Amino acid sequence: MVASTRLLRRSGVALGSLMAMCGAGFAADLVVGMPNWPSGQASANIIKYAIEKKLGLDVEVREMGTLIIFAGLDSGEVDIHPEVWQPNLDSVVKKYVDERKSVQLSPKKVSATQGLCATRETTEKFGIKDVADLKDPKKTSVLDTDGDGQGEVWIGAETWSSTPIERIRARSYGYAETVKLLEMPEDVGMAAVDAAAATNTPIVFYCYSPHHVFNLHEIVQLTEPEYDQAKWNIVLPADDPANWLTKSNAPVAWAPSHFQIAFATKTGERLPKVASFLSNIDFTPEEITEMSYALEVERQDPAAYAQQWIAAHADRLEAWSK
Amino acid sequence: MAFLPQSRGRTFGAKIAACLALGVAVCATLAYAAETQIFDPKTRKWVEYDRKKARSYYAAHKQVPEAFRRQIVKFRTAEKPGTIIIDGNQHFLYLVQPDFTAIRYGIGVGREGFGWAGMVKVGRTAEWPTWTPPAEMVARDPNARKWAGGQPGGPDNPLGARALYLYQGDQDTIYRIHGTPEPWTIGLDVSSGCIRMNNDDITDLHSRVAVGAKVIVLMQGASLYKGV
Repeated sequence: MVASTRLLRRSGVALGSLMAMCGAGFAADLVVGMPNWPSGQASANIIKYAIEKKLGLDVEVREMGTLIIFAGLDSGEVDIHPEVWQPNLDSVVKKYVDERKSVQLSPKKVSATQGLCATRETTEKFGIKDVADLKDPKKTSVLDTDGDGQGEVWIGAETWSSTPIERIRARSYGYAETVKLLEMPEDVGMAAVDAAAATNTPIVFYCYSPHHVFNLHEIVQLTEPEYDQAKWNIVLPADDPANWLTKSNAPVAWAPSHFQIAFATKTGERLPKVASFLSNIDFTPEEITEMSYALEVERQDPAAYAQQWIAAHADRLEAWSK
Repeated sequence: MAFLPQSRGRTFGAKIAACLALGVAVCATLAYAAETQIFDPKTRKWVEYDRKKARSYYAAHKQVPEAFRRQIVKFRTAEKPGTIIIDGNQHFLYLVQPDFTAIRYGIGVGREGFGWAGMVKVGRTAEWPTWTPPAEMVARDPNARKWAGGQPGGPDNPLGARALYLYQGDQDTIYRIHGTPEPWTIGLDVSSGCIRMNNDDITDLHSRVAVGAKVIVLMQGASLYKGV
């Protein structure tokens, strides 16, 4: 799941940012911490060029991990985080936003989803439309790629915090018995989707949005019972390494996720117009997917992409400035 | 596409550790074939494509069935041009090209699939590589004994015209994508863990691939991964 990947990614600090931080001899008016995933890189640059254009300030983009960004927001080193994912970062938000009150979240949220997806071909031709269909071995046999008659479903990367939850969901729903659950890097999972789409072969896989795969292929999310907090009983491996799976039960969809822009409270006090501008930024999930696609699939340079985006969205910038 | 291949009847379980123990040369050892099926558009039926059929098809047509021939296909992916994607289940190797296309080659894979899935890279390449059978094969197989010191590259060498050596980081995985002196085996599962292509195709691929190229091996035989 993107949020958890991002959470993991956030633990790292790019060499460039360390060098920039250590060797900083001049100061921009504002520093945007830039995460290393595509939409975060695009939105960080869009924020930079939009503020420079509309508010006339000098803005620097620095690549760094999320936890470092939050520490920077707290200390005054960093002013803005372009994409704070929740519920993944609930504990960090609690610390800096609720308790220390050194960081504020923009009220505008971008909705995110996660669950199981299939190509349209899989749903229409092979009748796998709902997670309940995965319990039917006759249906899932078409997902077999290793010749044992049992289908396979990629549930995420081994390092993602969403992956054990996907395993819990599979066990709770009952399809852990009928399909083989695969854990491997995202590039392998996505290349399998590419190969399946190229040969009209059915495939079911863990998915999250916003994500460029939805623009690359015709993807349909499998239906399933709505999230119900009373039925979402998750014990993570870190909390109980031996019994997390048997102690957990979650036969429902994921809770809705979202992300927001964050900025330092002091920055908002120092530059109220910046706080207002950031609080008005209202990226849509579709725009985030386009950003992810432009940088990940089309390999566009984040800064160049952001400048084009700014040029093409003068009306949005105008609205954010009010 | 005239023929759509699919595989069935394979068993998996090959772990990379076991494969490592087998050594390089096992990759090129030809043995019996597991079953592949191909779709015959004339009869609109899936037909078994086994070693015997593969031999007779090749004898009659001087080439493998159309699906396994080198061709440009539509291939939408976020992977950059130059990346290799191996789909052992369908016996295809894709070399990603610009504009959402790929060059698709037919491949032969191991009796137990590739044995693992994941991401590696082309660590080095060789033209007409030397084949050295592992010690246990030398002990077991009189035909291998004479090549205990290495069989020089050439038309009879099991590794064929070219070899791409797959590395994980700086480590040789012992897996190779290589040619074959037996082109009719493309589309079958007849070696132990390596990817075989006919000599024209491996020569073509070799000419297009740079050392360091990313190689993605798809799920089939994904026993390397936790929970599989």
